[in-house]
Amino acid sequence: MTKKILIYTLLIIASLTFLYPFYWMVVASLAPESEIGSLTFLPSSFSWHSYTQMFSKIPIGKAFFNSMITATITTIGVITFSSMVGYALAKMEFRGRKAIFYIIIFTMTLPFQITLIPNYITMVKLGLVDTYAALILPFMLNAFAILMFRQAFMTIPQALIDAARIDGCSEIRIIFQVLFPNIIPTIVTVGILSFMNSWNEVLWPLIVIRDESLMTMPQMVTLFSVGGRSEAQLGVKLAAAVVLALPIMIAYGFFQKYFIQSMASSGIKE
Amino acid sequence: MKKKWLPYLLVSPYIIHFIVFVAFPVLFSLVLTFHEWNIISPMKFKGFSNYIKMFNDRMFWKSITNTFMFLIIHIPLQIVVSLALAEFLNQNIKLKGFFRAAFFLPVIVSGVVVTILWQQLFGFDSGLFNRMLVSVGLSKVGWLTDPNIAMGSIAIMATWKNVGLYVILFLVGLQTVPTHYYEAASIEGASHWQKFRKITLPMINPTIFMVVILSTIGGFSLFIEPYIMTGGGPLSSTMSSVLYIYKQAFQYFHMGYSVTLGFFFAMLILGVVVIQKKYIEQGDD
Amino acid sequence: MKHIYILFLVLFIGCNSSKDEKDNTLLFWSSNNRGEIEFTEYFVGQWNKKKETKVRFQPIPEGQSSEEVILASVVGKTTPDIYANMWQGSVEMYAKAGVLVPLDTLEGFTEFIKARCTKKVLKEITSSDGHIYQVPWKINPIMTIYNKRLMSDFGLSKLPSTYDEYFKAGEKIKADKNNDGYVDQWVGYTAVKVIWYERLMNFYPLYIAASDGGALIKDNKAAFNNEHAIGVFRFLQKLYQKEYYSKERLTAGQDRFITEDIFTKWIGPWEIRHVDKFKQRDDFEIAFYPVQVPKGHKGPVYTYSDPKNIVVFNTCKQPQKAWNFIKTLIDKEGDKKLLEITTQLPNRKNLEMDSIFKEYFESHPKMKTFAKQANYLKGVDNSEVIVEVFDIISQEYEACVVYNKKTPEKAIEDAEKAVNNLLKN
Repeated sequence: MTKKILIYTLLIIASLTFLYPFYWMVVASLAPESEIGSLTFLPSSFSWHSYTQMFSKIPIGKAFFNSMITATITTIGVITFSSMVGYALAKMEFRGRKAIFYIIIFTMTLPFQITLIPNYITMVKLGLVDTYAALILPFMLNAFAILMFRQAFMTIPQALIDAARIDGCSEIRIIFQVLFPNIIPTIVTVGILSFMNSWNEVLWPLIVIRDESLMTMPQMVTLFSVGGRSEAQLGVKLAAAVVLALPIMIAYGFFQKYFIQSMASSGIKE
Repeated sequence: MKKKWLPYLLVSPYIIHFIVFVAFPVLFSLVLTFHEWNIISPMKFKGFSNYIKMFNDRMFWKSITNTFMFLIIHIPLQIVVSLALAEFLNQNIKLKGFFRAAFFLPVIVSGVVVTILWQQLFGFDSGLFNRMLVSVGLSKVGWLTDPNIAMGSIAIMATWKNVGLYVILFLVGLQTVPTHYYEAASIEGASHWQKFRKITLPMINPTIFMVVILSTIGGFSLFIEPYIMTGGGPLSSTMSSVLYIYKQAFQYFHMGYSVTLGFFFAMLILGVVVIQKKYIEQGDD
Repeated sequence: MKHIYILFLVLFIGCNSSKDEKDNTLLFWSSNNRGEIEFTEYFVGQWNKKKETKVRFQPIPEGQSSEEVILASVVGKTTPDIYANMWQGSVEMYAKAGVLVPLDTLEGFTEFIKARCTKKVLKEITSSDGHIYQVPWKINPIMTIYNKRLMSDFGLSKLPSTYDEYFKAGEKIKADKNNDGYVDQWVGYTAVKVIWYERLMNFYPLYIAASDGGALIKDNKAAFNNEHAIGVFRFLQKLYQKEYYSKERLTAGQDRFITEDIFTKWIGPWEIRHVDKFKQRDDFEIAFYPVQVPKGHKGPVYTYSDPKNIVVFNTCKQPQKAWNFIKTLIDKEGDKKLLEITTQLPNRKNLEMDSIFKEYFESHPKMKTFAKQANYLKGVDNSEVIVEVFDIISQEYEACVVYNKKTPEKAIEDAEKAVNNLLKN
């Protein structure tokens, strides 16, 4: 019994360690600037001051929109294209299939540090700097998603596909109408992972987007935090961080189980 | 198969993507390593001078040592903490879902949020950690301003951010251990610790190695944390390799040199990961 | 499925089509601080009401530094027509890269600029190829700001203006107000961050003051291995050693000058607005005086001018029209407005004496201090690698001044070596 109590105590301490900083961040962003330095639980008064200040200093609403567009299109792109490739690899015979499969494995192990700068140069030369395309195109496909789809399609009985072909379905319709309902967990996983990766990406937007009206949310908040516009005020920085955290936290609140499963599977499949 | 071209059509987006964003950049960067180029002016062929400069560039080597420093602190800490928490959760526990969700929260939140938040927690004068230390009679710590400590602080923060994910991975691993192993050991009178060492650890070895590889790759891409918190200081102790590559590229626009560093660094990462994987395969026998 | 591809197409094409109006409109980037946005909004509004050529203004996008943002936009070919906040030190590099319009080829430029600037400034802004690529616009002399009330609280009878007096003040002010064993009141604070531009606020003005406007680079060689630079390093090093300054990054937390825990700071006139906006007590009074100098220094104290200039990028299709706009922006009326709204000084000769500004300075004594200082200024040396030079100095600064790992002599010598090495390539 004492062992149980010990375990519970440790677990509670641990969860406080993870939750309290977030609590502090939210409360501090609502506290008067002069109290942030001594804040532990509750400030003397709450105000939206830091938020109104922050909203007047940076176009964070536009940044939210940009992130939304970027992450949504990237996710749709990844699901569409990766499932097509995954299907071809899983269910079709053609020359070069093996080669493509190995190329995909190779791409997965290739560190991004090697392609970072050359990809920037490509964007410059294609005139894509400061466009949504620059944020989306490089992430439209990814090796991990292809492998996930390939695996999912391999578990589907050939008979289902043959039946659909006899009914006269085109291969595209087979993938998206006949097979998709059978692999929903995979789609959810790939969807959540692509969306989150795109939403949280900072380094790439920092490089290819310099036009404020196109900046993504994490980029905007990063630059606000290191740049001069926050005028060395703490509250506004924390308010920006809260606003950045909020959308994904809300989504997490609703789809917690899927988030955890998806993230875990990204590790396990390596 | 009526249409032989159909599979090629289906994989064509990947092929195009691969050529534009993987194959071409890799080959192009190889070419660039022999040039000096700021994109505005024409490229200048420089032979091996970028490589020579790299081998003499103390800051670059320091950035690599810093990165390894980060890994040496981060990986063991990560494994111990997440394994312990997973082990606790794997007991017959109520509120398991709540605890799991709490541990996982930092994982889904952007690294930018975590960094801005922890920058305040680490503050010397009125940061939460130092206030706690002083209140129990200890002395303040220069979390981000002491060159001997700063990288450790970042490693602690990164651990805090990622532990939730590894707790889940370990939980999955722990659940694969058949319960009758433990029952048999209990009959023979094995202690809890003995059971953990003799049964659990060997069984979840693959998970441990997976965690090592994932955190290694993560650690090698360390960028936004020092970018926001320290700018690479104090005394360059948190200058990570990616930050240095970024700086060469976008502060000075030394594209050729920056690509050389990126190329070499990527090879180094590949080397480290390959060695780790080899080691795992041996361990599996 | 097809709809999605069409959507992509529309999006990508849509993104690139907004550049049509460029031909009849000039795109103008201003600095992105509040005051300057306010000023530019006002000025451009007036202009667009009256003139045919329209101007569209945008604050420069946020970035780690505006220099980095400009560099990236030059590379990405997304430069504006006119940029009004170019750090003088960056101009030479862009001029050599051929992305700036040589303004002296435009009608009416040379006469105008000769009437506006002193010979010294003219020399500073002329590129090594003999052309002029920048219009000197505004300056922000770096001076010592101090808290008036604290001065009497601390019983200081005289402003600490030499290194020794500053140490004495440091000793007097250093205190642990909440008795937690840590100093929480200091004579001053300056940024410790190692990034190059922070040295423009501490090392560089002090060096200019000690050397009466000395150079960092001369004849393509490092020119700073001298008693002045070493003296400045030693001065700052002692401030940290004796804990007269805090090496913790105070600005990562709150602004300790605003909370009145520090007595002085090295800063430009823009700080007047900042203090007014954020001060917590109504009796918080500030004033300015020159930066500190070594004992025995004679004559007026020079300082760094932080010159920000206007340039026209070669992506501009109508440079002559751009110049006509700039000319109006910086005429006497424009300069007066700049002064009133932003509390920054126009870069023109006889500023203090000019009748049109006289009234303003009479009623703004703080700004008058800066106007007086404007007679003793230095900008930056013309070198296309000046950013890297400051970065090298910054590395040594951190090692020597902040962390006491090197003697000032050794640090300056190492910086000299590294700079000469850089300039050789």
